[in-house]
Amino acid sequence: MNFQEILKYFVYAGMIFTVLAGIAAYLTLMERKVLAWIQQRMGPKYVGFRGILQPLADGIKLVIKEDLLPSWSDRTVYWIAPIAVLVPALLMWVAIPITDGIVLDDSDLGLFYITAISVLTVMGLVMAGWGSANKWAVMGGLRAAGQLVSYEIPFIMSILAIAMLAQSLNLTEIVNQQTTFAFILKQPLAFVIFFIAGLAELGRIPFDIHHAESEVVGGPFVEYSGAHWAVFYLAEYMNTFTVAVLTTILFLGGWVWPQMPFEGSLHDFLSILLFMFKTVAVIYLIFWIRGTYPRLRIDQLMAFGWKLLVPLSFLNVVITSIVLFYGFSHFVLSGVSVFLTGVLFYMISNRSKKYDSGETVRIVSSSQVRDNQNFKEPL
Amino acid sequence: MISKLKNIGFLRGLVVTLKTTFRSSVTAEYPKLDKRIQVADRFMGFPALLWDGNIVEPYCTGCMVCVRNCPTQCMSAEMKDNPKYEEGISGRRKIINEFEINLGRCILCGICVDVCNFDAIEMSHEHELSKYQRNGNRANLDTLLEMGKEYQSKVNWTPKQPEKNSGKPKEKVIKPKTTGDSVTPLTLDKSLNSDSTEKDSAE
Repeated sequence: MNFQEILKYFVYAGMIFTVLAGIAAYLTLMERKVLAWIQQRMGPKYVGFRGILQPLADGIKLVIKEDLLPSWSDRTVYWIAPIAVLVPALLMWVAIPITDGIVLDDSDLGLFYITAISVLTVMGLVMAGWGSANKWAVMGGLRAAGQLVSYEIPFIMSILAIAMLAQSLNLTEIVNQQTTFAFILKQPLAFVIFFIAGLAELGRIPFDIHHAESEVVGGPFVEYSGAHWAVFYLAEYMNTFTVAVLTTILFLGGWVWPQMPFEGSLHDFLSILLFMFKTVAVIYLIFWIRGTYPRLRIDQLMAFGWKLLVPLSFLNVVITSIVLFYGFSHFVLSGVSVFLTGVLFYMISNRSKKYDSGETVRIVSSSQVRDNQNFKEPL
Repeated sequence: MISKLKNIGFLRGLVVTLKTTFRSSVTAEYPKLDKRIQVADRFMGFPALLWDGNIVEPYCTGCMVCVRNCPTQCMSAEMKDNPKYEEGISGRRKIINEFEINLGRCILCGICVDVCNFDAIEMSHEHELSKYQRNGNRANLDTLLEMGKEYQSKVNWTPKQPEKNSGKPKEKVIKPKTTGDSVTPLTLDKSLNSDSTEKDSAE
């Protein structure tokens, strides 16, 4: 490997970091805007034209802030933790293609690599919790570990169903197989499981028990401030973007148009545009869910993951393998998958109905309390 | 089937937030002059002294009744002889010379307005206290009159007791006054016994 090649990889790494940091910064603005719309507020609107420079102002503020170090902390672990969270978020982008051919390493093990790297984030969070020498931080780190490890299983199992369907682990290949039918049509159940498990992996709001402000006051990030806290935040939004991109690639057909009349660079440009449009739609869905649901309790989270998502994802893999082995039509697969998605939704809604009979202490919506005369006040 | 789907709580929640997304925002961008919410006509802000445009002088005679009744003692007033009364233009024998309200101390109770016999003080629409000086909220006579003029023009203010507080000189009253008002207070009282306002100010 000569000098030029080494330099090339440095330039690529720099490009990935810069672009992803910019995207993550603007995702914060998008999140604030979307939440503001949902809550009938205005959101940031004074910095630049309609608040377009708000991320810059936030960034400057965070960099200028003082970086605090708790006196009891384990310094090495404390300072390495942000890097341990950020690096996996960047490493995933080695294998993720933006469009046909625009990818650092078009590996045949791309999907495997991504699932392997995505688990590494947990270690950074646990390190941050441990290094802070703070009870809340340790609790938050352990919660993160428990949550991410348990949701990793349905996450990987739903990916596995897609890999079986595509007969490949290469992401470009997976996308190119969705020219006529996106995999969401063949595997809606896998999509739902992947999306929910992805939200849990990110720690987005229905599953944000590891930095729940009202319970563990920010979890592993309690003691962090300034630039180091900003790095955690950056990694979180990079991961949000990555999960949205993976959803687009695996289920929504990525960048392929059913029929594309153009050739050459215009074709590439339109493909990237389509890809980004789908990604932003998925990100909007994530923020929309964030603006809608309250946080789950940790036992609810674990019960939902282990009792519902894990069995359904295994069942999905079994059904997919049966269909593929006997060579049934893929319409059978989508029919069964739609049915199982219905079962999943029914289980979720039926759960909440069971709760308002007053058997257990549950949080229910006010309308359900109003409708049900026999409702007992939770203890 | 569709009605059952509607009852799935987590889908209904999403629909609710989707609906609210497209509503216009309820925020009033307060410091912007054109975006703030206008106060109602009956809004009670800080007290202001009113201006009698017909005679070109304040309504206030400096009778001190508001000063005495103020629960926070945020006011002070001083009266003087009214030169326009001597000229026969005005019916007010005494007129306010200095008036000061410490608006930072005012609790906007409105007692000064209730006790005033001359329709001279009113709760204006002024409600913003931010100042750059420590004593910036001590409003003097000119400030209070400016506040009052703004308020009057805004709500088309008219006196509650127009015939009593019009401020026009009464013909019966003027003649003994011009001869010697400061010499014999007894005659004054006799001549003015129909006018209760003068008694109040004489106290």
